[in-house]
Amino acid sequence: MFKQRSRLYIVLLAATVLVGGMPAIANGASITKYPITIISGGYSTLISKKPTRIISLSPSATESLFAIGAGKQVLAVDSLSNFPKSAPISDLGAFEPNVEAIAALKPDLVVLSIDAMKSLVVKEALEKLKIAVLIEKAPEDLAQAYKGIEILGIVTDNSSAAKKLTFKMAALIKSILNRAKVTNKVTFFHELDSTLYSATSDTFIGKVYKDFGLINIADKAAGADSYGYPQLSAEYLVKSDPAIIFLADAEYGESAATVKARSGWSGITAVVKKNIFALPNDIPSRWGPRLVDFYRFVATALAKVKK
Amino acid sequence: MPTNQIDRVWRWQITASAAAALLIAGLLAIGFGPVNLNFLAIIKTLLGLPNGLQDQDRTLLLELRLPRVVLGALVGAALATSGAVYQSVFRNPLADPYLLGVASGAGLGATIAITNGAGNLHAFLPLFAFFGGVLAVGATFLVAGKRFADPSTLLLAGIAIGSFATAFQTYLQQRNSAALRPVYSWILGQLTVADWDVVKWAGIYILIALFILIRIAKVLDALMLSDEEAYSLGVSPQKIRLIAVAAATLATATAVSASGLIGFVGIVVPHLVRGLTKRATNRSLLAIAFVGAAFLVIADLGARTLLSPAELPIGVITAFVGAPFFLFVLRARNRGA
Repeated sequence: MFKQRSRLYIVLLAATVLVGGMPAIANGASITKYPITIISGGYSTLISKKPTRIISLSPSATESLFAIGAGKQVLAVDSLSNFPKSAPISDLGAFEPNVEAIAALKPDLVVLSIDAMKSLVVKEALEKLKIAVLIEKAPEDLAQAYKGIEILGIVTDNSSAAKKLTFKMAALIKSILNRAKVTNKVTFFHELDSTLYSATSDTFIGKVYKDFGLINIADKAAGADSYGYPQLSAEYLVKSDPAIIFLADAEYGESAATVKARSGWSGITAVVKKNIFALPNDIPSRWGPRLVDFYRFVATALAKVKK
Repeated sequence: MPTNQIDRVWRWQITASAAAALLIAGLLAIGFGPVNLNFLAIIKTLLGLPNGLQDQDRTLLLELRLPRVVLGALVGAALATSGAVYQSVFRNPLADPYLLGVASGAGLGATIAITNGAGNLHAFLPLFAFFGGVLAVGATFLVAGKRFADPSTLLLAGIAIGSFATAFQTYLQQRNSAALRPVYSWILGQLTVADWDVVKWAGIYILIALFILIRIAKVLDALMLSDEEAYSLGVSPQKIRLIAVAAATLATATAVSASGLIGFVGIVVPHLVRGLTKRATNRSLLAIAFVGAAFLVIADLGARTLLSPAELPIGVITAFVGAPFFLFVLRARNRGA
């Protein structure tokens, strides 16, 4: 099993590293040979030497960089990168990157989310200033999340630590699922905000719930928008009577009490049985090492669910 | 505006037809939704007859669908009527809550509430929006200074104030990326969170404002001709302008705080009613209120059902249907003139 897995990852890495050759694997420690061209988020980046002044403009990437031991190579992180506490948080915005402010810090690598405003224009502008830019894309599933972490490993010359991390994450998630998977049909509603935006099983977060065998009531609205985040009508929500409600909007003040107080909601099974869980801030929207914590949270919640 | 274009005659049949249109729109909106309910049972439930809807279906109708239809009607009436009044007061066919900065001011107030929003937003949103709207229209008056009776100065001031409020709002949104989603979905405009609580206070403010506006409709007609005409009726044009703008702003700010920024109703509906009837009188205000209500109720029916069980933002529908329709009316009217 392990052998098969590692072979798979070698193939993945081979597909990823185009120029500069494979990272040499010797005694379990891999050393990246620069320069290398790597494809991340669908865009290629040339890294000429081992980066030591990294700016991370993605909270997920920040968490991953520190977890694989690349923390000391990180110069600054964006204003939303609040984890880990040791990350050098700055005023730099992740959503509206400011090329001049970034360049002023003289980084040798910038990790940028594809969802940032004009991300590709920013990438081009920084590259003109001889600053490498690695594009981060929200993963669609766990395999892509692991791959993202491993790419950061190769780029920062921490491949073996990155691979160790993803193996450990996969093993932990597997054992969590083995213990917590539900077999009977349990429906849930994942609430993004109080106007009933939700996430279908096509989204990364939706796939997490799906891994547990839960039935997502938002799936009936799949296709309403191309992103998989439809706004559900209140009538439909009450009629579909979810057994569990996960609140991703607790930081905006929503809670079991405010949900119960909503007009027409008092009869919903999740409300009657008190199966309403406020998700921790940030964790559900980050695809770094703390993904395991999200699985653990859902497992703990499922253990508390009353039928 | 030449005097002879204003037709002071208004027939009650027109108002009655508008009321009938609202009734039909209301019945359709109550009858259809993401969840199928038996129409006969719905009517029985509403009239309190036996064999009506039971349990969950009853809750669906009375707690979710009905307040939403009522709120839609109130908001539509408020936006359409205040649009018509702004157009009369400023003698400008394009005046609407957006051009005067009222909607943007209310939007800024609501965004301040959302971005600082810990706790229950429902309690604070309307208050903040109302103060934002009042501040914006107040600032518009102040900036226009002594020339606030001059329509073009006032409109330009309104546009500047509105742009300022929108810029400030965008800045707040940028600084609070975490609150982007709630602000965004609110700006697109929606009635999705309607409940009787929202309907109750929105209803009180909007009905008070509409009552005032319809009461002063006759004086507004005089104001449309000239300030002298208003003096001849024994009223100060400045005073009437102030009352009319204050009442229209109250209606707009309440509508905005209840349902977000829903565009085009304030400009489409008055022109539609006046274009179809060829009567540019403020006696049409009640009919405009009914048609505005019917328009928004139908638009919201589309918002609820077109992508069911997902929602389509109602602002998208009003602009999508409203804009071409408006152009059509405009063209037909120009040809007729």
